[in-house]
Amino acid sequence: MTPNLTRRDMGRLLAGAGLASLLPGRVLAQTADTLSIAYPGDVPVWDPNLRTHVVGHSLFKCVFDQPLTYTPDLKLSPAIVTAWQASPDGKTLELTLRDDVSFHNGDRLTAEDFRYTFFERPHAEKLDTTGIWRRVSDIEVASPTRAIMRFSDAMPSAIPWLSFLASFVVPKKYMTSVGRDGFIARPVGSGPYRLASYQQNARIGLEAFDGYWDGAPAYKQVTFEILNDVSSRTAAIESRRVGLSSDISVREANRLGQDPQLKASVEPFTDIYVLQVGNTGGFTDSRVRLAAHHAIDKVAISRALFGGVAKPIAVPAAHGTPGYPEDFDFPFDAARAAALVKEAGFSAEKPVDVTFFTTNGTFPGDYDLSRVIVQMWGRIGIRARLETIEFVQYQERLRAGTLPEATMYRWGNMTGDPELYSGYLLNPKFPFAAWKSPDVSARLDPLFVETDPEKRFAGYREFNKWAVLQGYAIPLLQGVTTSVYRRTVGFVPYANGWIRPSAYKPG
Amino acid sequence: MILRAILPRLLAALMMVVLVSVLVFVMLRQLPMDPVGMSLPPGATEADRLALTREFGLDRPVAEQYLRWGAGLLRGEFGVSVNLRRAVGPLIASVVPATAELVAAGLLLGTVFGIGGGLVLFAVRRTPWEGVGDVLTSILVSVPEFVWAIGGILLFGVWAHALPFIGRVDPQNVVAARTGFMLLDTLLAGRPAAFADALAHLALPATALGITLAPLVTRILRSSLLGVIVEDFVQMARLRGLTERQVLTRHALRNAALPTLSLIGVQAGFMFGGTLLVEVIFGWPGLGNLMVTAVRSGDIPVIQAAALVYCLGVLLINLVVDLAYLRLNPRLRLR
Repeated sequence: MTPNLTRRDMGRLLAGAGLASLLPGRVLAQTADTLSIAYPGDVPVWDPNLRTHVVGHSLFKCVFDQPLTYTPDLKLSPAIVTAWQASPDGKTLELTLRDDVSFHNGDRLTAEDFRYTFFERPHAEKLDTTGIWRRVSDIEVASPTRAIMRFSDAMPSAIPWLSFLASFVVPKKYMTSVGRDGFIARPVGSGPYRLASYQQNARIGLEAFDGYWDGAPAYKQVTFEILNDVSSRTAAIESRRVGLSSDISVREANRLGQDPQLKASVEPFTDIYVLQVGNTGGFTDSRVRLAAHHAIDKVAISRALFGGVAKPIAVPAAHGTPGYPEDFDFPFDAARAAALVKEAGFSAEKPVDVTFFTTNGTFPGDYDLSRVIVQMWGRIGIRARLETIEFVQYQERLRAGTLPEATMYRWGNMTGDPELYSGYLLNPKFPFAAWKSPDVSARLDPLFVETDPEKRFAGYREFNKWAVLQGYAIPLLQGVTTSVYRRTVGFVPYANGWIRPSAYKPG
Repeated sequence: MILRAILPRLLAALMMVVLVSVLVFVMLRQLPMDPVGMSLPPGATEADRLALTREFGLDRPVAEQYLRWGAGLLRGEFGVSVNLRRAVGPLIASVVPATAELVAAGLLLGTVFGIGGGLVLFAVRRTPWEGVGDVLTSILVSVPEFVWAIGGILLFGVWAHALPFIGRVDPQNVVAARTGFMLLDTLLAGRPAAFADALAHLALPATALGITLAPLVTRILRSSLLGVIVEDFVQMARLRGLTERQVLTRHALRNAALPTLSLIGVQAGFMFGGTLLVEVIFGWPGLGNLMVTAVRSGDIPVIQAAALVYCLGVLLINLVVDLAYLRLNPRLRLR
């Protein structure tokens, strides 16, 4: 029988097909060993040594390996490097590498790759690692599993840096044969997943690497859906189009956590909110700076804005990290704050005027946090003019040294090492410091070359206390990391905020 | 004849491109932002910052920077991204098809629904439904794209589970990018299911873009029709015995189309602007998404190249509209 279709019939068919295609009404397939993750950002480029990129770090960590890593509770842990020994002068670091690590293309990872990553590339190319590893004068390959790093000056922070941004081992043979562009197009690492597909700013498809030295991951296929917008990430998990959504608001995470099929993880992590202080205007008087710190009720702010999860901090470091003096407190004390302001010649009736910069939406809760502080300061005689700036403006002001008395900032440090907190944040020799005075460098410089870990950590604890008592920074709270996931995902929260699907087990 | 009509428009477009490039270039450098500072690694020193500033030529006078950039453009080079450390040209080229597809779908939806709405409103003129239509179009036109986007996600994505809202296609339907246009690529790959999936992914973002165009087209078309329908030639057509439908489709609609076409041309430019937020909300890997990322990171080379491409897109659409005008209105060809 020959179908007898008129033009009208054809039109109907086409229209019907069009409508049907618009109404698929399904949710993304999620099997027991596949996982989709809504994630707030992409890697800048698939060369893990090129850029230090906080958001991209968890993504790089899926495909590449680091010499050292961290456990979920922030304990330094062996990875490719199983043992390490620094010389007393801090100028030599001997490292033992695993002998069972393979890259995704089958090549064995050896000390040659380690040398290539941390010495040859940084010296030959313009990478972010060039500056990080500038003190490395050579890396001796003693054997395929033994490398000796030599430094021109002691680098006590080399160990945390081996587990920090951009410190991923890349395969020398493959990269030199395909070149950097070839590598970026088809990256090869030794991480738990190989890159299966990639669409910039949209989706990263990963397949489990069965030959992974730490055992093949339980999730065989992982897809990162790059969703920059927080409401889209919330909708993605609420609609079950993904199995896990990271970095959504505390309020939404708590709401979705009530869903019987979902769980919410809302935890403090190693990022810290801190008011960067400028030695200008009203804050040139240390009494006003200290009053400003005493006037802030951090517990109340945490309760109001972060559900009480964000831990108040007294120094610029996270609780439980080596540079945090747990015996030290800088209490909320409105009466003392008012007295200090009065001592400086001001009062609630005759307030001291300061300018307060904040971003709005760059960091979770940044603007609200700033507004609350302005209110608290107003009660004791500090009248702050709150100005909203873009993050790029912040960088320009910081560079030009024109930040005002107070600027809201969230400082990230996934290692917990004190040098990567106050060592950079407060050191006038680095571009990140807002407060510039020679007494800071005088105290920090010895710590940058202190090779005894215990002395170094103790030194930073003392420095942090001193810096806060001078009013050189006003630490506020630890950041909060949020994830909402299906109950079957087996999510593991990391104290440094990492999203690591290779650590999750469906169940 | 057509060429003689187009040439002045092309020259004007070229001047516009140069003007926009100068404006964008100079304005970006007047803004208080430090793209190099944004891309410094922890532990970087002031010397590192200065070296990077020199590397990107940002220490040169603005005029010299512009001339270097312009010379690069003539060679087909858009510079290097400060944030991504990649050539900007290929980066832009890789995302333009996604935005072009989205804008085309939004324009199509807005135009189809707008014309349909205009005809309906014209048909119900002088009835109580006319007021209802006016209120409805007022509501549609006053709500911005991103609100429609979020509302669409909540209604069709979260509540009804009817439409996808992440990216351009589901992971299992990814096909090799041959043209960059997902609808075309899925067809070329011979994957009808993937094509349907791509259409479904296009539905919400394209609707969010097109929904603000439709009511404007509706209103302009309705008012144009109301003006045209009382003209002498329309009365003559009726006297010749044509039905109302024939009068409408053969005579009135053709004449009422000209102002509508102008409006669509102008609105298409705004639609490009609307892609910025819509692409971010839907995780759409297009120029808007790239632009927003570049703005957040102060990536000047990407911002200025993307702005230029947006400008070219708008000019291209205007040129197409002008050509359509010439085609529909023979009197313009005589000028």
